[in-house]
Amino acid sequence: MSNDETRTEATDRKGRRHLLCWLLAIVALLLVVWLIWHFNVDRPVDYAADTDHFKYGSIGSEPGGSLLLTVGGLLPPEPIFRVLPKICWDKLPGGYASLGFIFEKGHDLPIGVSQRFRLGFQQVGLNCAVCHTGTLRATPDGPSQPVLGMPAHQLALQDFFRFVLDCTLDPRFTADNLLGTMKNEGIDLSPLDKLLYRLAVIPQTQAKTLALQRQLALLLGNEVTEWGRGRVDTFNPYKGMQFNWQLDRLPRNELTASSDFPSLWNQKPRDGMHLHWDGDNDSVDERNRSASLGAGVTPVTLDYPRLQRVRNWIWTLPPPPYPFAIDAARAARGREVYRANCQQCHADDQFKKGIVNGAPLVGTVADIKDIGTDPYRLNSYTYIFASNQYTLYPDSPFRFTHFRKTNGYANQPLDGIWARSPYLHNGSVPTLRDLLEPPAARPKGFYRGSDVFDQQKVGFVSNVAAANGLRFTWFDTALPANGNFGHVYGVNLSAEDKDAIVEFMKSF
Amino acid sequence: MGTDRKTRRLWIPAIVIVILAFVGWLAWYELFREEPQQLANNSMEEAFKYGSIGAENQNGLPFWIWMVLPRMFPEYLPAPGGYAALGFAWEPGREMPVGFTRKTIGFERVAINCALCHTAMVRKPGEVVPRLYLGGPGHTMDILAYQRFLFACASDPRFTAGNILAAVGQIYQLPWLDRQLYRFLLVPQTRKTLLKQKKEFAWTNSRPIWGRGRIDPLNPVKVMLGHGVGNTIGNSDMEPTWNMGPRVQGKMAFHWDGLNTDFTEVVRNSALGDGASRRSMPLQSLDRLEKWLLDLPPAKFESLFPVDRALAAAGEPIFRQRCADCHAFGGGKTGQVLPLTDEAWGAQQFAAAPRPLFTDPHRAEEWGPADAQALNDYTKGYPWAFTHFRSTSGYVNVPLDAIWIRAPYLHNGSVPYLAEMFEVPAKRTKVFYQGDDVYDPVRMGFVAEGPEAERMGTRLDTAQPGNSNQGHLWGTDLSDGEKKALLEYLKTL
Repeated sequence: MSNDETRTEATDRKGRRHLLCWLLAIVALLLVVWLIWHFNVDRPVDYAADTDHFKYGSIGSEPGGSLLLTVGGLLPPEPIFRVLPKICWDKLPGGYASLGFIFEKGHDLPIGVSQRFRLGFQQVGLNCAVCHTGTLRATPDGPSQPVLGMPAHQLALQDFFRFVLDCTLDPRFTADNLLGTMKNEGIDLSPLDKLLYRLAVIPQTQAKTLALQRQLALLLGNEVTEWGRGRVDTFNPYKGMQFNWQLDRLPRNELTASSDFPSLWNQKPRDGMHLHWDGDNDSVDERNRSASLGAGVTPVTLDYPRLQRVRNWIWTLPPPPYPFAIDAARAARGREVYRANCQQCHADDQFKKGIVNGAPLVGTVADIKDIGTDPYRLNSYTYIFASNQYTLYPDSPFRFTHFRKTNGYANQPLDGIWARSPYLHNGSVPTLRDLLEPPAARPKGFYRGSDVFDQQKVGFVSNVAAANGLRFTWFDTALPANGNFGHVYGVNLSAEDKDAIVEFMKSF
Repeated sequence: MGTDRKTRRLWIPAIVIVILAFVGWLAWYELFREEPQQLANNSMEEAFKYGSIGAENQNGLPFWIWMVLPRMFPEYLPAPGGYAALGFAWEPGREMPVGFTRKTIGFERVAINCALCHTAMVRKPGEVVPRLYLGGPGHTMDILAYQRFLFACASDPRFTAGNILAAVGQIYQLPWLDRQLYRFLLVPQTRKTLLKQKKEFAWTNSRPIWGRGRIDPLNPVKVMLGHGVGNTIGNSDMEPTWNMGPRVQGKMAFHWDGLNTDFTEVVRNSALGDGASRRSMPLQSLDRLEKWLLDLPPAKFESLFPVDRALAAAGEPIFRQRCADCHAFGGGKTGQVLPLTDEAWGAQQFAAAPRPLFTDPHRAEEWGPADAQALNDYTKGYPWAFTHFRSTSGYVNVPLDAIWIRAPYLHNGSVPYLAEMFEVPAKRTKVFYQGDDVYDPVRMGFVAEGPEAERMGTRLDTAQPGNSNQGHLWGTDLSDGEKKALLEYLKTL
């Protein structure tokens, strides 16, 4: 009996051990499957409305690739991104809002920052809206209104990159400090995430930032003219980030090239026109894919369907109607003066409906000798650079083929021009009315970034140094790349005619 | 039972055979399967610019390695700008520069062809995009710098499969099987090949650089033949390959020293120089190219700049009288080799001038009779075997079609402007920068001084061995007015 019992017990024990082994194996297998799924799942945060997708949707600019090889992305993972201003509180006392980022009610993250779960972590990226959403207010004390597709004239993008890079390399950027601050801010990480943040995410973020800083140091330092609010150097960061060119071996002139953000509405009638300030590309789609690279997308991480959703929306997005009163009689007179002086190159108020009226030269490149505006931006885009662009998106139907080196600046269609201040490609003239003055009579210096609208001269108030928590950029037209000369069309008209043109342009 | 075992006995080897066959097929597919090139169109221009001349088989670089090297090792390029920084012509919208070919032999490979060295870039002053002239001398491209770039990359400890695949991963999702191929075979093999070539080209380190627009054409051949390079220097200016018909008809000698009078052999030998092997030599494509080059028209100065017709007319008789015998099509000595003696170079005419009167002798002395014989022997047994290679002791009197675009001048590219050819050597520029593409229509040549030329070009010091601007005094004794008229006439050629 005892023998039998022992045997039964032994069999039982054996059976239980067997069962345990099986259970463990299944749990391990499930864990492995879960881990694989967890680190491979790619889940962008989507929005039902196109406007929300534009503001907060992902175009793939979050880090991607695989766990073994991360690709792309300019920003740290979301929890880190959110606590950065707390970690380096002295470097950005007003938070991201002080840089001109727009926060809407019900959103923790500003317009232009997208969320996506990739590589096992919640990531953030930049999208089109960050540089193409501007704010506007009627009076200094009135409410500020975001306008989608409008140039982000209030955004200090260079300072933003400086801050993110500086803070990521700050001695306070430690696991303890970061995780502690996250906890204080109510950001809950799972125990696994906490461990992974400590072991991998935080050190990797720093390593990546170091590499990025090496590539961009020269452009974020003081050797080149400050971008300031509302401007970006379009192609020089690209030389460093996409091609890993050693920027310090380029002539400084070529590295000084910041220019105004353009508007993003009404793209359909622009297809086939020369886009970008120097008219270097005539394909809207290729221009979009190129601009996405600037937001941190790579050929590998691009979310083409979601980018196309933005593209389809801006294709027919109308420019915003002028929100204030227009003097109809004066505008009617202005139409005539405009027709005689401006229309040939810039089309008229019908362009907002996609109609090109009496403008054989709109969307073509005016030679630099004729247009006479500041040449730095033009010279930053070289034949050698264009040649390299053709290697982007290699071996794919997306590969760039439309880029061309030009020798001038493109004649822009002026839809919504009232909302596109300051003017000229480098944003060196604060108002439309100032642009109609001879260069010597245009303001030599002014503040950029206020969103209080000046209905008289059409543009933004430019004599205020700070307001509403924003310190504005002093724009000195004497600095390299900041010249406010050239484009001397209409400067000899009478003051009444100039006023009339400006009045008419409010209706664009 | 018995049949079962028998069946099993038959099955196992069958499966093994199938597996082996599959592995063999896979290896063939991934390494040797040759796919015809897909060019943008069927024109000869396209074939010249991007068509294979058989160099991929032995000397093809795996496409993705080629693609990422400039991004991984920018410090080894002469300037920022990827491969474009090496002065290669790049057409709008193209994935690779002119002169680069992409062909699948198992995997995608990149090699070069004739157009790399025989495409000229020209900008008028103030222009920002160069015009390309197919068949013109590649005066901007720096082939030695390209090779040195590849060698430096391969010598760098960061040239590893891991790093290269990481760099590729930033721009392209390479399929798993390709990644394994790159990791275990292509990257290590490419590194090995490049390091071997680096050794074979070590002799270039002990002499003046080729610089933009120049090549030492024959020392690499001597190395291939197993001959020593010795102290020889062969740095030579790129020559145009257009308008070959009259040269062939006139039985003219090719290359600066006239080492061959058979154009077909010259073309095939150049293909060998570009990386084709004797076995991969694509005779059909080369014959098509050869035929096309016979009638390829030279670039016209007047398509860019005006010519003073009256002045040129005044210059024509001077040319007829002083230059035509050696330099006009149909001239008595045109296309023939002028031996390296002061007598042959006008010792009587220039009795008072300092000696020597002949041009820098290095290039002529580079190629001996033993080298020529060995090259002929090297191709023995092939239906296209060379028989015409020879050694000369001088330089060819070259015909001057489109001489305007062939700056810098003399066989070693030691005189930046055509106008300076009419100055005595002591008054010619001593140090200049070769390789900018902005043309100076007055002095006739590419701008060779100033900040842009210094940035874009390579420095040429005429005091260095092989770089001397000595000799060729013809025309130096003309009056200033005559020189001006002659120069104007030369614009019309």
